[in-house]
Amino acid sequence: MADYVLEVQNVDKVYGQGETAVQALQNISFKVRKGEFMLIVGSSGSGKSTLLNMIGLLDRPTTGNVTIDGIDTSTLNDNQLSTFRNSKLGFIFQFSNLLSDLTVLENVMFPRKIQGTLQSAAEEASTLLKTVGLESQMNKFANKISGGQAQRVAITRALINRPAIVLADEPTGNLDSLSAETTIHLLKSLNRKLNQTFIVVTHDRPQFGDVDKVVTIRDGKIVEGELEASLR
Amino acid sequence: MDYRAQLGIRFITRRKGSLIAASLAVAIAILVVQVNSVIFQGLYDAIVRDLINYRFGHVFISRQEDFITKSSFVLVNWLERIPYVEAAAPRIDYSAQINSTVNGQLIKDYAVPVIGVDPVLDRKASTMYQTVGDGQYVSFRNSIVLGAIADRDLGYPKVGDTVKLKFKDQHGNDVLKRFTVVGITKTAGSVGLDNSVIINIDTLREIIDRPQQTQSIIVKLSDPTKDEQVKDFFLSSFPSNADKFKAQTIEEAAELTLSGFRSGIALINLVGYFGMMSSAFAVVTIQMMQVTSKTRDIGVMRALGSKRKDVLLVFIFQGMVIGAIGAGLGTVLGVVYTVYAKETHLTFQGSLALEVKYNWTSIVQTDILAFVLAVIASIYPAYKATKLEPVEAMRVG
Repeated sequence: MADYVLEVQNVDKVYGQGETAVQALQNISFKVRKGEFMLIVGSSGSGKSTLLNMIGLLDRPTTGNVTIDGIDTSTLNDNQLSTFRNSKLGFIFQFSNLLSDLTVLENVMFPRKIQGTLQSAAEEASTLLKTVGLESQMNKFANKISGGQAQRVAITRALINRPAIVLADEPTGNLDSLSAETTIHLLKSLNRKLNQTFIVVTHDRPQFGDVDKVVTIRDGKIVEGELEASLR
Repeated sequence: MDYRAQLGIRFITRRKGSLIAASLAVAIAILVVQVNSVIFQGLYDAIVRDLINYRFGHVFISRQEDFITKSSFVLVNWLERIPYVEAAAPRIDYSAQINSTVNGQLIKDYAVPVIGVDPVLDRKASTMYQTVGDGQYVSFRNSIVLGAIADRDLGYPKVGDTVKLKFKDQHGNDVLKRFTVVGITKTAGSVGLDNSVIINIDTLREIIDRPQQTQSIIVKLSDPTKDEQVKDFFLSSFPSNADKFKAQTIEEAAELTLSGFRSGIALINLVGYFGMMSSAFAVVTIQMMQVTSKTRDIGVMRALGSKRKDVLLVFIFQGMVIGAIGAGLGTVLGVVYTVYAKETHLTFQGSLALEVKYNWTSIVQTDILAFVLAVIASIYPAYKATKLEPVEAMRVG
């Protein structure tokens, strides 16, 4: 078993070519252990979401490697990447991004449906929904629940496949302060209870309080700060 | 249920406007083909029906050259012993100059086709006698039935009036004969003998000096599908070179008349199928709109691990739903129209009653074609959907 659940090594990302080229990420390297709660922080346009996309295998680095659960993802083709994302990664987006044509339960089960492992999926999804207090909303269509509830559904959807890492992109960015607090509390408690690795992108560092690790991004580069402190 | 099928179904069934528009496009295309089929195939079949009833029978027997010299009595009796043969009747097609005096005014001679019929046998083998609207069918030796067009050209002589016909017998001699009009025949679409006159076959034989001779025998079958069988059986039973018989099915006998209609029907069907292609373009447009409206969902699917082919299948399933609902709706509309046309004895231009048939093979073929086109029309939008990158799709969706 790998020591680190995530290893990002010398990742660069350049958009465009020639004079119009934009360096979005530059020489990013860090490691994350299983069960850690890590924040990627930075101001708008700093490159933090781009970095999350690289880690989430939604985009490929121009150079450098992303290794997840001991597997170098640069060697995977498009189909393998899809399978890998499905089994090893969970996603929580800023706008929850539930599929509005599916019910809450179907949304949670969706990654399992993709995987084709439906045995006991409904019970597991129900249990998870119960954990986040949404058992009564299970059969409602996703567009019929509130934003805070939708984000909790998105969290359970991210966990249904027991991924190696759950990636959250501004998970509280679209919520009122009460819902945001509930969501953060939920993420942290799941992190402790399930020993689940979370990597959360946020521009609001203080909202999350104590975490295991923080990577601060500015102009596409990691700046000195908490990362250094935590690694010492 | 497979999740791609489930999503495909939900995507389209929860967008009722898109579903209705796309399904209607498919359904209307099917309806157009069905209506074309009912009208034009019905018209063709009606013409075939009337040609069988009035002119040729199901099997038309003639001689390759000249008249049939074998006794028509013998031939008719022989034919009527074949199990599928319901009746047979001899006829002679000839021509004569005709004139009449109506209200003291002489209508000048002009050439008219003359049909000699056996008054008894013809009633069994043909429904020509039913087309006499005024008067009765040919009976006694000097009786004549005028076709409606011939009647018009003669200045509308009435039943009881006389007309004069000048024939040339087989030796080239002129023979003048006066006839009493006993009836006027009129057929829908003039498919019958509207431009001819009908007289007793024995009278005609006598006039042209061809005793016992016949020009053709029309054969009516109890089972029209056995026409080839009866034709072959007849020809094989009378192989003699002296007889030189020619036997034709209705399609062969009326080839000249029918081939033009067949080309017309093919053209009309082509127009129908072009309509179907247009519906496919409508499906493409609606599917493209669906892909655009579902861009964010496509991004989410891809992020959560769906492969490009899974996205493709979602929209193909969506096309299948459109195709299935459209085909179902189109079939219902088409069948309702067919039933209406059949039950109301729909006529073509108010005269010729269409021969409407439930052509299930054609209906199923049209449905399958419409369904397949809807699926094919979904391929390009589905392909476009697979090309969306997850990050981009979620950002713009």
